[in-house]
Amino acid sequence: MVCDMNFSELLSRVVQDTVGNNPFGDLSGVLSGKQPTFMDGSLLMFLPELIVVGTILALLFVRLLDLDKVISGQSVALLGATVALLVAVVQFLAIKNLDPSTSGVVLPKTMFTGLLVYDAFTVFFKVFLLLFLQLVVYLTQLTGLPDRDDAPDFYTLLFGSTLGMLLMISSNNLLMVFLGIEMTSVPSYAMVGFLKGRRTSSEAAFKYVVYGAGAAGVMLYGISLMAGLLGTASFPEMAARLNLVIGSGPLKLDATLLTLLLSIVMILVGIAFKLSIFPFHFWGPDAFEGAATEVAGFLSVASKGAAFALLIRVLLALVGIDQAPSGVMTPVFFYLGIAISVLAAVTATFGNLAAYSQNNIKRLLAYSTIAHAGYMLMAVGAMMVLLNASKHVPDPAARWELAIRAIEGLLFYLWVYMFMNLGAFAVAALIRNELFSEDITDFGGLWTQAPVLSFTMACCMFSLIGMPPFGGFTGKFMVFSSLFQAGHYHWAMWGVLAVAGINTVFSLFYYVRVLKFMFIAPAKDGARRVRVPAWSAAWFFVLSLAVLVLLTGMWGAAPLSATAHEVAAALFP
Amino acid sequence: MDLSSYLLVGAVLFVAGVVCMATKRNGIGVLMGVELVLNGANINFVAFANYTRLGLDGQVISLFVIVLAAAEAAVALAIALSFYNNHLTIDVDQANQLQG
Repeated sequence: MVCDMNFSELLSRVVQDTVGNNPFGDLSGVLSGKQPTFMDGSLLMFLPELIVVGTILALLFVRLLDLDKVISGQSVALLGATVALLVAVVQFLAIKNLDPSTSGVVLPKTMFTGLLVYDAFTVFFKVFLLLFLQLVVYLTQLTGLPDRDDAPDFYTLLFGSTLGMLLMISSNNLLMVFLGIEMTSVPSYAMVGFLKGRRTSSEAAFKYVVYGAGAAGVMLYGISLMAGLLGTASFPEMAARLNLVIGSGPLKLDATLLTLLLSIVMILVGIAFKLSIFPFHFWGPDAFEGAATEVAGFLSVASKGAAFALLIRVLLALVGIDQAPSGVMTPVFFYLGIAISVLAAVTATFGNLAAYSQNNIKRLLAYSTIAHAGYMLMAVGAMMVLLNASKHVPDPAARWELAIRAIEGLLFYLWVYMFMNLGAFAVAALIRNELFSEDITDFGGLWTQAPVLSFTMACCMFSLIGMPPFGGFTGKFMVFSSLFQAGHYHWAMWGVLAVAGINTVFSLFYYVRVLKFMFIAPAKDGARRVRVPAWSAAWFFVLSLAVLVLLTGMWGAAPLSATAHEVAAALFP
Repeated sequence: MDLSSYLLVGAVLFVAGVVCMATKRNGIGVLMGVELVLNGANINFVAFANYTRLGLDGQVISLFVIVLAAAEAAVALAIALSFYNNHLTIDVDQANQLQG
């Protein structure tokens, strides 16, 4: 608490925290890339987000000043996304080459008086989200989802949603958890309803907003209970306060513990809704089917990635990373990890089984998204089990190493998932533009008409199944090996692993069914023909996604997993 | 007045909101339930700000929540209007075209 300061002192402190001591000196060092200098002002660490904000303002002014005849909204959006991505990449290189012994900079640093945190994990996800944003902006230009008049509105929503995700991944305070989730959700409700005149689109948006607002309300109530119980909303203080509130000695199921468990469950409900985890998955297929394909692709990757980052941050804040191995709550968190894994197994099974009977490609991919959220959640469950297995592994460093491997698997999976899922949605969107149909039974004979689209779809589908040599195999292998490790400490994790393995086989059938229509079934009589000329922008875009899916499974796997390992290790300084 | 009386008001608002969300068939009614839940949480925050170590943080959080609730209501009502334009009703049970 800052009580013994007068107002001007407080003000100068806030200004210094925001701007830093020597902002322009830092900026030149960072941009030239010569020395991995470090910024001590929040604004410079926040630069990619500021560029996103600037792009939103530019889009609105383009509309306001009637400049959209000179420069289209699409170009402004693409420029903004590219610049923000470049700055984030520079930040990532700077943070990777940072040597604490020479620079004297200790990570993680906090931004804006401790509300946000800046570490390798934050910047890694910034690169992830901004790269994905750029790809989606490019895809929407290829498919022409927003026309020239609607472009500023659409990209304002898209960038606003991404801004919320950027807050989610760096949140260091319970307030930012809620703010980030809401800032992500509110624009995405509007994006789902963007096809205004369609009955299905308005229905999808209506369902999404009703369920989403309800889940956010429940989550906020959980946050209020937790903040009140612990007397703090700041992540770094939460684990210590938790041990203080629960007290030492054996666990008693008294009012304090019950309230605490209730608040944890309520917060997890809010995050599980964003992840579309069973039983909070029902909005997903409806929202995806009603929304435009590009929007569905955006929601299925970006909001999942950001929600996983947030989930890891919240769980690590509760478990704590700097305490003695015998925290009072350790057994509770151990079983919470098992519960998360079991829920993940149920989610994956449900998603895979429900995908069978689907003929709409967006709905099928929505259930596939649910299944993949289940696989990725297994890594989080394994992380919780491994972190809290103090009865079996008293040495914290050894437990951390195992947990780092689990997070590494999740991060790797997310990157592969970005490429393969975006590839599948991009092909679906391009086919929709030609066929005016999203029904996979209409996809007959596509192999002869559009070989590159079909080839990309095949790569993405085999990767989603988890076949070598595609990236999906490597990601699944890493997650499953973490599950196997966690199984040494509780047999239930081996059960989850078995269910996950069976699920992989299940999923084979409905993914291959799509390919069967594209490659084997003949074209329907009188069906429109799909034409994607070679060397066109769309051709190049889908082909590069296919190459990326292949690369992450082959030569790219080692560097990507090494980077993911470094990033995950940075969570445990 | 002690802390638990305030928490009781918050809890009543929360439960009323959840019941409202679960039982109302009118879309606007559901959104009003959401507002009740958010304000139940807000009462908690303000009460905790006064009685626990949470301090001013609680009041600041409640201010942010008020702003966000307004933004969310604006978007939700716009979507409800768009739903009405397409369906000529805001009965949530009529949102049954997408399923399976």
